Amino acid sequence: MRLLEVRNLRTTFRTEDGPVTAVNGLSFGLDAGETLGIVGESGSGKSVSALSIMRLLAGNATVTADRLAFNGESLPEKSEAEMRKIRGYKIAMIFQDPMTSLNPVLTIGEQIAEAVRLHLGLGKHEARERTIEMLHKVRIPLPEKRLGDYPHQFSGGMRQRVMIAMALSCNPQLLIADEPTTALDVTIQAQVLELMNDLQRETGAAIILITHDLGVVAEFCKNVLVMYGGNLVEYGTAEQIFEQPRMPYTQGLLASLPRLDEIEHRRLEPIQGQPPNLLRLPPGCAFAPRCAYRMPICAEPVPLYDFGEGHVARCYLYDERASDQRPVSMQTLPTAPVAAPELQVARE
Amino acid sequence: MNNGALLEAKDLYKYFPIYAGLMSRHIADVRAVDGVSFTIEEGETLGLVGESGSGKTTIGRLLLRLLPATKGRILFENQDVFAMKRGEVRRLRRSMQIIFQDPFASLNPRMTVGDIIGEPLRIHGLATGKEIDVQVRELLELVGLRPYHANRYPHEFSGGQRQRVGVARALAVHPKFIVCDEPVSALDVSIQAQVINLLEDLQAKFKLTYLFIAHDLSVVRHISSRVAVMYVGKIVELADREALYQNPLHPYTQALLSAIPIPDPALEKRRKRIVLTGDIPSPVNPPSGCRFHTRCPVAFDRCVVEEPPLREYAAGHFAACHWVEEHGGRGPDLTSK
Repeated sequence: MRLLEVRNLRTTFRTEDGPVTAVNGLSFGLDAGETLGIVGESGSGKSVSALSIMRLLAGNATVTADRLAFNGESLPEKSEAEMRKIRGYKIAMIFQDPMTSLNPVLTIGEQIAEAVRLHLGLGKHEARERTIEMLHKVRIPLPEKRLGDYPHQFSGGMRQRVMIAMALSCNPQLLIADEPTTALDVTIQAQVLELMNDLQRETGAAIILITHDLGVVAEFCKNVLVMYGGNLVEYGTAEQIFEQPRMPYTQGLLASLPRLDEIEHRRLEPIQGQPPNLLRLPPGCAFAPRCAYRMPICAEPVPLYDFGEGHVARCYLYDERASDQRPVSMQTLPTAPVAAPELQVARE
Repeated sequence: MNNGALLEAKDLYKYFPIYAGLMSRHIADVRAVDGVSFTIEEGETLGLVGESGSGKTTIGRLLLRLLPATKGRILFENQDVFAMKRGEVRRLRRSMQIIFQDPFASLNPRMTVGDIIGEPLRIHGLATGKEIDVQVRELLELVGLRPYHANRYPHEFSGGQRQRVGVARALAVHPKFIVCDEPVSALDVSIQAQVINLLEDLQAKFKLTYLFIAHDLSVVRHISSRVAVMYVGKIVELADREALYQNPLHPYTQALLSAIPIPDPALEKRRKRIVLTGDIPSPVNPPSGCRFHTRCPVAFDRCVVEEPPLREYAAGHFAACHWVEEHGGRGPDLTSK
């Protein structure tokens, strides 16, 4: 049994302009202790997927899924009270901006203690001990003293460490980190990532790291899920995704990045055009309007193609019917045009 | 320093006073820029990198005289920018422009894109009437937008398109020098590359000189000819791009470079990361001596008391570090395993 199973997740928002499809049939799974990076640009649906799983969306959102299970238990069937026992306890979340996710009028000690008293049922004294222990773990100097400080008395990096302390205080099985280092300076980002790495090794929690930074994913994650237009377009290990990307979008993303280890000046190869309008997602491949290899068949819903060892991509270039369309770089690759059973999207 | 420089900053200081209490007494200063000198040659791109609070944006504002300096001089084409009279400043603004980070905040939402781009033409009297419309359309095409976009409002555009509008507005007055203040950091990766290529093409076409301010060292490596690294109000290292990235001398530059993850998992496994301890010090009360000594892995007693001067250790390669000085111009070896 996988720790998290998501099958055909679909999230739409009712808006004045009509329904906005933020997540469009996403399926993936996660094992205990795994690190999964979800990458994508603004509007690709990465944050909304996480919020849909946690049932944290506003009333104008409609979430449907064929299966949404944590530890084999279906999350949509849980009552709100049961969900509250899962959130912050079994599944914890860290957000991008630690200033807006901490309560400014409570001391950080009160905020961490609240979680452990509620979920672990600790008494006042034990909760304080646990809070100090957690602050110590995230390397806040003098935790006994800092306990009584308010969020504004901490720097951005320290606040994010407080958030991590709070998230891990109840030993969650899954930590969802949504752009946890995006607001931080690079030297501070390095500290926070190192800390998350160490704590994961210690606690064995699975981590979903949502980010737009491909470098952070390469450094931190074992598996990578690339999202575009609300759905998975490629999935594989970090090595597979970065060394042999199959989907033209993934390839384009890597080619458009300036690299720190670039020696000869090379012209960047941007992806032409703009991300899709979620009010009018095309029925087929959402990337087709920007894709250099676009074919007529791309207007139809695209299945996943399996490249072995868990690597899948959603692109018709790997269909047998398109074998003569593949550009040289893609033609030489062995392909198996069958949908991956593990991730297969149920057809409506 | 060389007379061929388009722009020269000499011993530049900018302190922002902090007032507190009932009588609004002056209690301290934010020392945003604290004694900085550099030159920018015609046609080059000088990259200015640093973390939050290092003073890089303030330098950009000082160069354009959008802020008065506390002390120091800026020479643009050998003319003292701070000594200029009103009319001269107006002429200066035609030669110098700025592109801002946030394409959402830097365009007036009540003006059409055509009015936004046409405004500098009108203000500087470069065109009138129909001629403005013609030039606006040309500018829109130049930055990769369509002429009919002139009638639309900023909210109808995506982030990348808005940044193109900002570029067109800056180009309208045919400047020689453009301060690019984090022009791509608010953009998605696939769009960021479009704007970087546009800036490069325009530079080649109009022989523009850029000061490129950014915190992303990969972008700066890609676009700059020389790079200055700032830390809490000071330049700690300044060198040609290759020298700075291949042979960084200052321990802070080394740590900064090693902290950036590279999108290549195989390479990431081999790299050693220098994880600095502690936070970036406050520019209100910077550390004594070398400002980096509180986080530096090779700091020694001299660093606590004596401020290191920015010295040239190889042709065009400047660094401000006692360790480098005492080791014959060699940087510490912090990244080998």
